[in-house]
Amino acid sequence: MKVLIIEDERSMATEMEAFLKKAYHCDLVASASQAVARLEDNAYDFVLLDLGLPDMDGLQLLQQARKLCPEAAYIILTARGQLEDRIKGLDLGADDYLPKPFSLLELQSRMQAISRRKFGLQDVLIPLGDFSVDLQKRNVYFEQTEITLSRKEFDLLSYMLLHKNRPLSRMQLSEHIWGDLADDEYDSNYIDVHIKNIRRKLSTYATVDWLQTIRHVGYKIKI
Amino acid sequence: MKLFTKLTLFITLSKMAVALLFVLLLPVLVEDIAHQYNDYYLREQKKKVLQVIQQNGIDAYLQGEETYGSYTMLKEEYISLEPAGNTIMADTIATVQRLVEGDTLTYRVLTHILQANHRAFLLEVGRKTTTISQYNRPLQRMALYVLGGLIIITILIDLVFTRLLLKPLGVIIQTRLLHRRFPFREQAPPIRTSTADFQYLDDSLVELMNKINDAFEKEREFTSNASHELMTPISILQTKMENLLDERDTDEALQHTVQGMMKTLKRLKKIVHSLLLISRIENDQFPKNDALSPYLLVTEVMEELSHRLEEKNLRFSMQLSPQTMLHRLNHDLIFQLVYNLLQNAVKYNRENGSITVTDEIHPDHYLLIISDTGIGISSREVDTIFHRFRKIQRGTAEGYGLGLAIAHTIAQYHHIQISVETTMDQGSTFTLRFPL
Repeated sequence: MKVLIIEDERSMATEMEAFLKKAYHCDLVASASQAVARLEDNAYDFVLLDLGLPDMDGLQLLQQARKLCPEAAYIILTARGQLEDRIKGLDLGADDYLPKPFSLLELQSRMQAISRRKFGLQDVLIPLGDFSVDLQKRNVYFEQTEITLSRKEFDLLSYMLLHKNRPLSRMQLSEHIWGDLADDEYDSNYIDVHIKNIRRKLSTYATVDWLQTIRHVGYKIKI
Repeated sequence: MKLFTKLTLFITLSKMAVALLFVLLLPVLVEDIAHQYNDYYLREQKKKVLQVIQQNGIDAYLQGEETYGSYTMLKEEYISLEPAGNTIMADTIATVQRLVEGDTLTYRVLTHILQANHRAFLLEVGRKTTTISQYNRPLQRMALYVLGGLIIITILIDLVFTRLLLKPLGVIIQTRLLHRRFPFREQAPPIRTSTADFQYLDDSLVELMNKINDAFEKEREFTSNASHELMTPISILQTKMENLLDERDTDEALQHTVQGMMKTLKRLKKIVHSLLLISRIENDQFPKNDALSPYLLVTEVMEELSHRLEEKNLRFSMQLSPQTMLHRLNHDLIFQLVYNLLQNAVKYNRENGSITVTDEIHPDHYLLIISDTGIGISSREVDTIFHRFRKIQRGTAEGYGLGLAIAHTIAQYHHIQISVETTMDQGSTFTLRFPL
């Protein structure tokens, strides 16, 4: 999948690329004019658009870009964080909106969610060791048996699955589960409780050695 | 009281007062004028008599007699001449009584000494006082009618004119001030009036509102720019750290360090978020159009917090009326407000403690009461807990000092009174008073 990153902060753009390049092919541009030039010649699956560009208003560029490349999914990234921008952006046809600072994990999750929704990539069941996970119906199965997880437990498991093979810190996990409301001291510890519950519930059916603890950091799903 | 009402009252009352004064003075004035005119009349009569005597001699009257006296038919006036002896006196006019054919009549009499035929004569010209004042009453009545009519006409003219004159003021109040809500985005066209004062008032109001709008826009722009300027470097740092954590060959110690950095960064992010939130609230950037049920709101908040109850084995109970709805609020902000209070109630509670949420419905306000059995706040600090960055010593946990400041800002923004009662080591009770 091809991603166009329109971001005038060079180091921000390279970090995004570094993170996404395992799954996507990324092109980087730093201005609206460069973006238009790229969009005229290439077809992208994702356009990550920073609203604060030097040469054009980001929302204006969004309109123009959508004419040039209507199939792409557009995600607005902005540090301005004004409510009107968000509403306008979504009105103008953006698929999602992420206020800066955002977590790269969160960005990738949103992209995957859009993929599932927009490009119909819901290959029904994702295998996970001896289990399989249905992200749409939010269920976990062992062979035909459905295993009941609480809402937060499923959120946690699916998030780790989406970011498989990456070490995820407790803080990153709790930030995903509780968003801005997350409280480091409390909720990081609580992640452990959730993980323990997931392991307990699943291990009655099969081994869960794919769910690894990373000392001092957090957890990782390794498959 | 409205200006027009005041002016109407003033105009009416002042005219009434003038009319009353006139009515009181009228008899005296008319009497006075009648007397003055009468005295003038008597002097004219005297002149005529003297003229006759000068032309024809005094004998024209005396006809050989010693004295002369003549009354008109109804004894309204008389002239008399009689020898004066040696009396010398200036002319006098006096009101005197005369006995005429058995009747005592009151006359206004002019007395004059004249010389004729080498003798002195006393001339009296008299006029009956009732004759003098016979027109007083009809005159007074007519004067009153005319006055009354004039006053009514002037009051009407005054009122119509005042109304016309004050109309621009009414328009100014109507278009510029009534039902206006900040920010004043659209301005009605300037008032058309020839009254300079209203013109000035209108211009000044528009100028003032534009100034406020400008200041507001600048503040908004500043918040937006500050947000951008602060969030961009934080973003870059965050992504760099995330990538660092993700690198396969990163050793354990480094990962640990990166995590510590991320924690600190998160703290910074939270502070910046909080400050921007406060600034945005104070900048009126949140619409207040939501209606919400306190019952559902607290339930919603507790869904986010319930997992933390288990850690200290806290008991949570809620007695709220499920039907109550509160209006004209911003849902997200009120959520944040209640969340911050309940989060503190959890955070600063003791093992096996409890949290209670109750409410009270009053005719003009609604109370939401959140009580905990926590460590409480010392009386020294209770006055400053709502200040920004006031870090208070609450057990081992320390806040960033913004949770309650945000709560306070949100409460103020919605005109909610927030108050706290607390006893050290016993607990705190926060009360939110929503106006209805």
